[in-house]
Amino acid sequence: MAIVEPRTTERAPEPQRHWLVEWLTTTDHKRIGILYLGNSFAFFFVAGLFALLMRTELAAPGRQLVTTNGYNQLFTLHGTLMIFLFILPVLVGFGNYLIPLQIGALDMAFPRINALSFWLLPVGGLTILSGLLARGGAAAAGWTSYAPVSEQGGAGQDLWIVGLVVVGTASILSGVNFIVTILRLRAPGMTMTRLPVFVWSMLATSLLMVLATPVLTAGLLMLFADRRLGAFFFNPTHGGDVLLWQHVFWFFGHPEVYMLILGAWGVVSEILPVFSGRPLFGYPGVILAFVLITALSFSVWAHHMFVTGQVEYPFFSATTELISIPTGVLFFNWLATLWRGRLRFEPPMLFALGFIALFLIGGVDGVWMASPSMDFAIHDTYWVVAHIHYVLFGGTVFGVMAASYYWFPKITGRLLSRKLGQWHFWLMFLGFNLTFFPMHELGLRGMPRRVADYLPDAGWSFLNQLATAGSFLIAVSLLVFLVNVVLTLRRPPDAPPDPWEGNTLEWATTSPPPVHNFDRLPEVRSNRPVRDGREQEVAR
Amino acid sequence: MAACRRSRIGLAVLAAAALAGCAKQGATVQGQEIHDLYVLIIILALPVFIGVEGVLLWCIVRYRQRRTSDGQPVSQRAGGPRSLAVFFAIPTVIVTFFFLYGERTLADVQRPEPNPAVELRIDGFQWQWTVYYLNEGFFVTGKTLTKEPVFELPVGAPVHVRLEARDVVHEFYVPDFLFMRNALPGRPNEFSFTPTRIGTFRGQCAEFCGLHHDQMRFVLKVVSQADYVAWVDQARKAAQHVDCNPSGPLKLVSKDNSWNTGCLAVAAGSPFSVSVSNLDPGIEHNFAIYPKAGAKRPLFQGPRFAGVAEKTFELRPLPKGRYYFQCDVHGPAMSGALVVK
Amino acid sequence: MNTVELTRDERAVRQTSGPVLGMVIFVASEAMFFATFFGAYFTIYSVNPVWPPAGFPRLEPGLATVLTVVLVASSVTLQVGVRAIRRDRTRAMLVWLGLTILLGAGFLGLQLYDYSLLGFGVRDGIFGSLFYVMTGLHMAHVFGGVVFLVLVLAQGLGGQLTHAHHDSMEAGSIYWHFVDLVWICLFITFYVVGLS
Repeated sequence: MAIVEPRTTERAPEPQRHWLVEWLTTTDHKRIGILYLGNSFAFFFVAGLFALLMRTELAAPGRQLVTTNGYNQLFTLHGTLMIFLFILPVLVGFGNYLIPLQIGALDMAFPRINALSFWLLPVGGLTILSGLLARGGAAAAGWTSYAPVSEQGGAGQDLWIVGLVVVGTASILSGVNFIVTILRLRAPGMTMTRLPVFVWSMLATSLLMVLATPVLTAGLLMLFADRRLGAFFFNPTHGGDVLLWQHVFWFFGHPEVYMLILGAWGVVSEILPVFSGRPLFGYPGVILAFVLITALSFSVWAHHMFVTGQVEYPFFSATTELISIPTGVLFFNWLATLWRGRLRFEPPMLFALGFIALFLIGGVDGVWMASPSMDFAIHDTYWVVAHIHYVLFGGTVFGVMAASYYWFPKITGRLLSRKLGQWHFWLMFLGFNLTFFPMHELGLRGMPRRVADYLPDAGWSFLNQLATAGSFLIAVSLLVFLVNVVLTLRRPPDAPPDPWEGNTLEWATTSPPPVHNFDRLPEVRSNRPVRDGREQEVAR
Repeated sequence: MAACRRSRIGLAVLAAAALAGCAKQGATVQGQEIHDLYVLIIILALPVFIGVEGVLLWCIVRYRQRRTSDGQPVSQRAGGPRSLAVFFAIPTVIVTFFFLYGERTLADVQRPEPNPAVELRIDGFQWQWTVYYLNEGFFVTGKTLTKEPVFELPVGAPVHVRLEARDVVHEFYVPDFLFMRNALPGRPNEFSFTPTRIGTFRGQCAEFCGLHHDQMRFVLKVVSQADYVAWVDQARKAAQHVDCNPSGPLKLVSKDNSWNTGCLAVAAGSPFSVSVSNLDPGIEHNFAIYPKAGAKRPLFQGPRFAGVAEKTFELRPLPKGRYYFQCDVHGPAMSGALVVK
Repeated sequence: MNTVELTRDERAVRQTSGPVLGMVIFVASEAMFFATFFGAYFTIYSVNPVWPPAGFPRLEPGLATVLTVVLVASSVTLQVGVRAIRRDRTRAMLVWLGLTILLGAGFLGLQLYDYSLLGFGVRDGIFGSLFYVMTGLHMAHVFGGVVFLVLVLAQGLGGQLTHAHHDSMEAGSIYWHFVDLVWICLFITFYVVGLS
């Protein structure tokens, strides 16, 4: 089954540099990818801890754990860190590691800019977190930071702005790097129509990073100007417009959420074929869906503003409903991939199937909000909280878990425990649904978002208790994952090059790959070159 | 197979009915339309949900890799343009129908009432609401952290609201009406509704607006026409009954965003001084006098200043009458009557 | 089994180089950045019945026209320099590049002088906010461009630029022309449209 002969000749020993210096100065995309993954999961755990604190506070009416100001900081930091310091960077991290491998390249187009892109992240993230030490605490205006509320508050809000400008810069640089790499560094035979779906998804993500993130940067600078330079962008007393912030933010914000999901769609589209033994059904349709969604994502932004009463309803509800069409196409293609397959339920596949089940719910509950008059009933309530978590957690995080189990052997040379993976999956699946499904009902019962407390006679207490119980179950499942990772890393690296019978080029080299990625590249004649190689071996 | 199909349809109908009950019925004419739209979406979404989850479960059960595989190669069919067309067509049909129905509901909800029986102006501010009854000439206001406003409306009569905010973006939300609308500083919103049910309905701000966003609650009572008239009468009289007599220099103290008194009195025709003591650290207040509540131009407007500080103002004589004073930052929540006798 | 030796992708030689493509994409992101501000300008314009707002002195287009001429000239000189290095005329490139840098620095100095003549600041209502933030960010981009071109000049003086390898010059020129284009849009917005 080995496609590649490992190098047997020894390389001349290089002068040993301290491992810390090695990692701090690396420009190797694989190491940078690992740095991204480590940093992202660290912020995941911090932001997750904030979520547990919130859920503990909300389990019962009355103030138990945190002050109101504390709670407001918690939900602001939770959203900000999860979105900007976990979800997007973890996908970018997998992209960093996998893209050169999947296209048969040596490294990214701009390795040093790649390193810079990474290091900007912990700097930006820590800047945002440092607000906790400022007078008045960290930013407390929500991750959406609506003006004019975000023009109040102390240095914590300014640190949030600065941190996000830094993080946004990292995004833009990554996007440039990925696009040039994918367009210019593909191996011979790897035409665009043979590109792995994950690479297509990261190309789409990169386009959005490059075109949408600068809009946020501009908005943040306007906000900073209002706060500290005496400007009036969002201040109606001297000619400014409060709605301007929302338009600017959501023009960025909606493409942003597609940046947060496309990579997961790519991962799932890689994993389902491998563990069904079938090709991805309708590969051209999947790519077309990615392209349409990427383009359309710039046209829907004001559906976040239906309740302002001052946006063009028919246009935005039309575009919002339109974008559900290519999304539906994705689901049909995934199901058709499974149909008549031979399914193996390794942990990557469990999480990929969980993704389909849960992302569907998140997509469907979004339909209620796509119609403006219905949105008037459920916007800014816990229905929205349910929706965003079904798509971002049930969707992307499950996709990230799938990717983690799938590519862990390639990155570390060791296979994660299957048993612990199953426990992780079921505990997380159960905990997740217990936490977030009741929130649909909470929204229908009128519980608004971003409230530190609620009244005992509101009828929301029991559902909140359920949600809190579920959140602790999620925490347990993540502990199982952590234990799995730690125990596995202590074992010697013995994973084969291709433990899953994969399709794409990363499985044509050792686990982990050598510094130069490939000793020999298989010929690329389809979008499943490694499978083609296996079939040829069998045929002989 | 037929029984299986029938029971599956029956299950779906039951599920739809159960889900339909999850949303409130809508205590206004417009709210009831929105509830109907909610049910329609269930009818559209449920088959999609059951279909996709069903196929997923089926694949998991039917196509799992078994030890005793028959050695047959797995089908490598990957579809073509025809399957793609079908996959695009199915959601397109659903979405078209959904869009058209939604537009109809939206038009009904947005339609302004030509002859509203009640005209309200509602102001949101950090962190309470003031409801002005424009034709009746009085207002009901909440006080931040201290008092939720309770205001009444007659059942079956159209209400027109002009909604705005004084400081940041707020949101007027009544869950039982299945409705919310942003209160935006500098961009007033207008909407109408007709309550259909007598009852007491809670509402609160639904757009995060700063520290005490979660406490920005109000109570809306829909009552019979007779009860409404009685309430209006009583509220109007209460507003006019605030009275006091001149008794030396005026002294106003603000603590916890509230004045120490709701009534000031001076003698007509003589200049007077007002000392304003702001005991709220870091919070700006001011003192302004208007001909009446809701008037645009003040007769006197002192500067805003942050606490803890005290300022004294010398004012020119005022003719006899009732005036309205307030802190412009906090509006009617910090207001009262200035009686000149 | 068929394998292919890892060789440099021959196709790359005939396409735009990596760094130049990267600069094009980066400029696209900068275009979105500035487009946001122009979008803000026209949004604010549409909600203000009087524009410029009452009490604002009219912006005199005289000095701004000079600024435009200076910047456009610098784009011309830079492009001449690019064409020079494409024909391996290194000395000519250095001269035209140096001229460009001088013109760029001149633009910066003149703009600061213009600021000192204006009778309003960033705190003077929304017009002041828009004007200073937009032209100020543009100035920052000109400054960044000047720094970049100085580094290219240093490369050229060090003999590192030839007709076959001068990506930094190509990339720098793309960035510089873009910054020039943004200025033209600013000029039209503030000094032409803004006055009507």
